[in-house]
Amino acid sequence: MSQELTHWLDDLLEEIEGIKVRRKSSRRVRADVPADALPALLELLQGRAGYIHLSAISCVDWIEDDEFELVYHVWSYESHSLVSAHIRIAREPGVYLSVYDLYQPAGFFERDIHEMYGIHFEGSPNMEKFILTEWDGPPPMRKEFDSEAYVNEHLNWQEYNPPWLQELIAEGGGVIIPPEEQRFSRKKD
Amino acid sequence: MNSINKIPVIEEKRTNPLARVFDEFVRFCRSRSLFILHYCTGCGAIELPPAMTSRFDMERLGIQPMVSPRQADILLITGYVSIKTLKRVILTYEQMGSPKYVIGICSCTVNGGMYWQSYATAKKLDEYMPVDLYIAGCMPRPEAVLAGLQKLMDRIHSGEANSWEDYFRNYDYYLGNQQKLFGENWQTPTDIITEAKHYDLIGEGTLGKHTQILEQHQKPLEALDMRLGHDLKEPTE
Repeated sequence: MSQELTHWLDDLLEEIEGIKVRRKSSRRVRADVPADALPALLELLQGRAGYIHLSAISCVDWIEDDEFELVYHVWSYESHSLVSAHIRIAREPGVYLSVYDLYQPAGFFERDIHEMYGIHFEGSPNMEKFILTEWDGPPPMRKEFDSEAYVNEHLNWQEYNPPWLQELIAEGGGVIIPPEEQRFSRKKD
Repeated sequence: MNSINKIPVIEEKRTNPLARVFDEFVRFCRSRSLFILHYCTGCGAIELPPAMTSRFDMERLGIQPMVSPRQADILLITGYVSIKTLKRVILTYEQMGSPKYVIGICSCTVNGGMYWQSYATAKKLDEYMPVDLYIAGCMPRPEAVLAGLQKLMDRIHSGEANSWEDYFRNYDYYLGNQQKLFGENWQTPTDIITEAKHYDLIGEGTLGKHTQILEQHQKPLEALDMRLGHDLKEPTE
């Protein structure tokens, strides 16, 4: 039955213009679509193929391409398969449409992405702070935010190297990579 | 009342030969009846249920969990402290009655551990409150937790574990670090300076430039705003 359904799904996906479908396994489909075709795709998937569960929206910051990638994962309880719809939007101004009217849980995901990446979703019910309520810096998951520099500026760090650990290391055990080689900013050149 | 105050009181050194015995007895009792506050940050708290329950049985040492900070003696910080959590930890610590002891469990309380690079995690716990004991490890086993607690008991018995006095004596240092992280408007509902006067623990480091900043904007204490969300609307008729 699932074989029939997936063929039917392939036919359905062909209706979207500019779509590239890659079948990664029998239960996973990756679809790359132009940004403006995504709401139509989701509407098709939800309305005609039973993909009623938006499990997550994830975001990738491709700073070298000057783009954000948004991935919408939708799950069908009927065919037990996952469709990941990938879109790319420009990093500046970083604005996209909300899919809250199709999938209500999107409100939370979009609020989270807005907080972590600074992407604004038009039509989303609430774009206020979500988890980082007491954070007033830049969106911290953007690639240009240097977490380590922030830490070095705002917080102190202390070495933890007690005598018993030194004895262990002297005998050839314990930590193999010393901290100054692990920690990029503390590397001694 | 006035006549009572007129009676001259001669302050002398303690001459009661039993005073030391009583002190010793009080410290013994104090070290054998410790209540741990249930405040679990991070992942190290997962080692506490086996330490408390029948396998390792913390209660045979006289150590029990306690639900409210006012009645607790030990504040266990069991793992990474995010900056949001640190505010709550400081509020909790200040509300505990003295004498109080802080134990930092896991590597994260020592120097941030594996979150050394994270913008959201505080690194050195002892910059924000005096820590009696660190139990390093990621995570320490219940045996290590119990060994640490026994060490704290020994220190209480011998009178060494008095770092809570340090919070009053060097309040300006701790407040300065808190202000650096939380901004200059940082204020807790507990008036530490008045408490320090109450305990007679005003030291050279109690007042300073950071407490001056606090006094400038200090608001009279009122109940904390406990809203859950921003969009909770008033019920309309």
